[in-house]
Amino acid sequence: MNIRLSTLFLLLFIILSSWQDPYKQGREALVKNYIEKRGVKDNAVLNAMRNVKRHLFVPQNQMANAYNDRPMPIGYGQTISQPYIVAYMTEIIKPKPDFKVLEIGTGSGYQAAVLAEIVKEVYTIEIVPELGNTAAPRLQKLGYKNVNVKISDGYHGWKEHAPYDAIIVTAAAEFVPPPLIQQLKDGGKIVIPVGSPFMTQTLMLIEKKGKKITTKSLMPVVFVPFTRKG
Amino acid sequence: MNKQKLLFSIALLSAAIIAFQLALMQILSIVQWYHFAYMVISVALLGFGAAGTVLAIFKKTLINRIDILLPLLMISTGIIIALVTDVSQMSFIRFDSYLLFAEYSHTGKLLLTYLLFFLPFFLGALAIGLIFVKYVDNIGKIYFANLFGSGAGGMIALCLIWLFFPKQLPAFIAILPVIAGVLLLPVTKRFFFIGFTILAASVIVWKCFNPPQLILSEYKDISKTLLLPEAKITSEKTSPYGVIQTVSSPVLRYAPGMSLTAQTTAQIKMAAFINGEWFGAVTEWKRTDTSLILDYTTAALPYIMANRNKVLVLRSGTGIDVAHAISRGVKYITAVEPNSIIISTLRDEFSRETDSLFFHPGVSIHTIEPRTFLMMDTSHYDLITLPMVGTFGGSSGLYALQEQFYLTKEGFHEMWRKLNAGGVISITSWMDYPVRNPLKILATIAEVLKESGLQNPKEHIAAIRSWGTITFVMTRSPLQQAEIINIRNFSEEMMFDPVILPKLDSGERTRNNQFQDERFFDYVDQILSSESSRFYEDYDFNIKPATDNKPYFSQYIKWGNLERLGEFFGNRSLPFFEIGYLLVIITLIQISLISFILIILPLFKIGWKGKSKTGIILYFSGIGLGYMFVEMVFIQRFILYFGNPVYSASAVITSLLIFSGIGSYHSKYFSFNRKRLIILFSFIISMLIAYSIILTPILQNTIHLNLFLKLFIVFLLTAPLAFCMGIPFPAGLTQVSKTNTGAVPWAWGINGCISVISTALATIIAVEMGFTWVMLFAALAYCLPMLVQWKPR
Repeated sequence: MNIRLSTLFLLLFIILSSWQDPYKQGREALVKNYIEKRGVKDNAVLNAMRNVKRHLFVPQNQMANAYNDRPMPIGYGQTISQPYIVAYMTEIIKPKPDFKVLEIGTGSGYQAAVLAEIVKEVYTIEIVPELGNTAAPRLQKLGYKNVNVKISDGYHGWKEHAPYDAIIVTAAAEFVPPPLIQQLKDGGKIVIPVGSPFMTQTLMLIEKKGKKITTKSLMPVVFVPFTRKG
Repeated sequence: MNKQKLLFSIALLSAAIIAFQLALMQILSIVQWYHFAYMVISVALLGFGAAGTVLAIFKKTLINRIDILLPLLMISTGIIIALVTDVSQMSFIRFDSYLLFAEYSHTGKLLLTYLLFFLPFFLGALAIGLIFVKYVDNIGKIYFANLFGSGAGGMIALCLIWLFFPKQLPAFIAILPVIAGVLLLPVTKRFFFIGFTILAASVIVWKCFNPPQLILSEYKDISKTLLLPEAKITSEKTSPYGVIQTVSSPVLRYAPGMSLTAQTTAQIKMAAFINGEWFGAVTEWKRTDTSLILDYTTAALPYIMANRNKVLVLRSGTGIDVAHAISRGVKYITAVEPNSIIISTLRDEFSRETDSLFFHPGVSIHTIEPRTFLMMDTSHYDLITLPMVGTFGGSSGLYALQEQFYLTKEGFHEMWRKLNAGGVISITSWMDYPVRNPLKILATIAEVLKESGLQNPKEHIAAIRSWGTITFVMTRSPLQQAEIINIRNFSEEMMFDPVILPKLDSGERTRNNQFQDERFFDYVDQILSSESSRFYEDYDFNIKPATDNKPYFSQYIKWGNLERLGEFFGNRSLPFFEIGYLLVIITLIQISLISFILIILPLFKIGWKGKSKTGIILYFSGIGLGYMFVEMVFIQRFILYFGNPVYSASAVITSLLIFSGIGSYHSKYFSFNRKRLIILFSFIISMLIAYSIILTPILQNTIHLNLFLKLFIVFLLTAPLAFCMGIPFPAGLTQVSKTNTGAVPWAWGINGCISVISTALATIIAVEMGFTWVMLFAALAYCLPMLVQWKPR
């Protein structure tokens, strides 16, 4: 009887273990060692980073590396951003549960998923149909019902749902499209990386206060993250 | 074997190898980037060294079968040249330069690519080496055919590149080695060789009509642009400048660092690309759009300061700065753009899209290197504009090894002299991080002003910054109060910030655009102070102004600081700052290691002992290094002279190889006469030392002459030297053949390996010490064979 019972327990343990997310530990370690340690403090952001399964947003052959803190190629010359940058960009807009956020450059959908964990509505635009058409069902399948994906030219923003509390531009641009500034709420923020993937990038924060628009070059980020000393 | 046929055959094969090398450079530059192309080809060219090694080890076996091997190797070279590009585009081997640092599988693919492109060079070189070894008594004539063929190959490739796209070239080039092989068909195994030739001919015909489909890296600018809605290639042209393509899309926009107050759509009709990399935006000038784009950027600075009547636009590219000048009411615009193909494409094919910009009565166009134009031109201007420095987000040092003579101190001095009273030089740069480009521009301007003997140089500089760009102006007269007011007003209106301006409050510099790291302003102030030299020493990157002797504006690496930067940014990040120069170092290490193995291996066969071994190494290394160093310096110096890199390279390579060939033809008079050889080396060394002093003044004083006179001067300068430099190799091989026959292929292999190494080495010496030193090192290299001749055996 005892042997039977222990066998049963063992089986149950094995089955339960297999049900557990095998990447959970990696995700926890990523948040602890690379994101929290380097200054991201917002609990909502940290929780979102713990919850969103990045391995489901990367190409299958890259799944094993999904919780390394680095960008990865997703095809069409695009990358899924480095997790630390995603966390940093999310924190910098100071997201609140009632926020409506516009994202330009859906890519894999990872940034949208992180935002969707925190804010009320996420509108995301992707110009490459192949990427948009993959990201939209992926987000839906993962249960992110507050994310809306549109395949379109991000330059024009998404006027129908404007104004936005914040706009996150994930694809680097040589200029900031005027419609995005127009669609930003007073007091709203735009965060945009300046630079090419796989090269040095600088994150820039744009703030709109009445007619005044100010920019701030934030941290420089590179392929392998670093914290600036001094 | 018929000697005439043999000589013709070796010339054809040599021509094919050089032509294929040039075609491959173009192909790899299109699918990847120029620097990776250079890296791959450098390794592939070690096929020459490897052929020497194989010959040294298996000499007897190979020589015994030379009648069969020569046609077999030559025809095989043809087949492989025709097919190798196709294979390189297959998914199992196709690597992506960017992914080399992200996916380790791409390292394996790179190694396979090395091996693949190594094959045709190895097989071709083996055939040449076999002939050298077998007919060493006739080496003078054979080497002449080899050099003459190589020179002709360069010219053939140049002509073919005008007619065919790079992907089509290998199939045409493959015809040459097949003919070379057919000329030497043996009487035995007739049916086999007829069948083999038919196979080769079929492959070539097939590939002529079905060239390979080149798959560009998805990270290349054109690949990304073609993903835009309705994007399509509207024009495609081939030339030695690269493949020029224009792409149109309704969502193409261009407004570098545009003000956040702008309301323009920044739409452009088309964009031009060279070898898949962004070249410029194609715009109109009649519509308000064009003027609006640049008017909302910091690049408008010289126009808001004062009215300009006569403007010189250097490296005008697709003409956006010319359009800007027209829209600002400038009456006389001189545009200088060395790429004649882009000018003719935009003028003749896209005159509607550009509003006939290049036919505008106020615009005159010169297709010449900007610096050469500056040296020849006698006019004066109200404004001289330079092209934007750096690329969006930083180029990661991809252009570190590009010679930019218009950005040297001497270049700025020339421009300064061409300004009217009240005239300005204007230059815009992306703000990179860590800051390099803006600091080097400022350092150049500040030093030129100091050297011009101005009492207060600060009164001649102004700079404004947007969120992403910074524009500097260098004024001939001290800044006027009205100009300062205009700059302040413009900055406020556009939400830019003044960075350098008389009587500037520190708060003004970050009123609209803040930095998290505000040390940039300290750096600016230090460069403008008398402490600038100390700052150059202390700063992590090399921001000392470029000079004509070291014209590498975009080279920022300081080797002493690499470790510290590695700690700061993370070692894996370093390649992304300065990848261009680092790749040359990586290439040098790779080829040196492989060469070392290739040079050592034959010694197991031919023996380690014997006095002559060291002598052979020193002799053949010395002449290999010396020859290539001279070739590199000549090409670099004549670029400025002709104002065109294509003509410069063609003139130098052709004259050097042909005159060296003639020298080789007469080498028998030196082969067994050490005294004559010592005199010859002394003459070469003396000429090289003299050239390191007098070459630049001669070229500067004759730069205004017409093309034919210039060509004549080039031949006068190169012919005697090239003639002499063509003698030592065949003379040395003949000597070796008499004392140590087994070492002939080894000596040839050493020369092959060192010649490849010397191109990378010359680049590094030029960057670190300047071209004068490359010439002096060439002289030093020729001391080695002279010492060997001196040494009593």
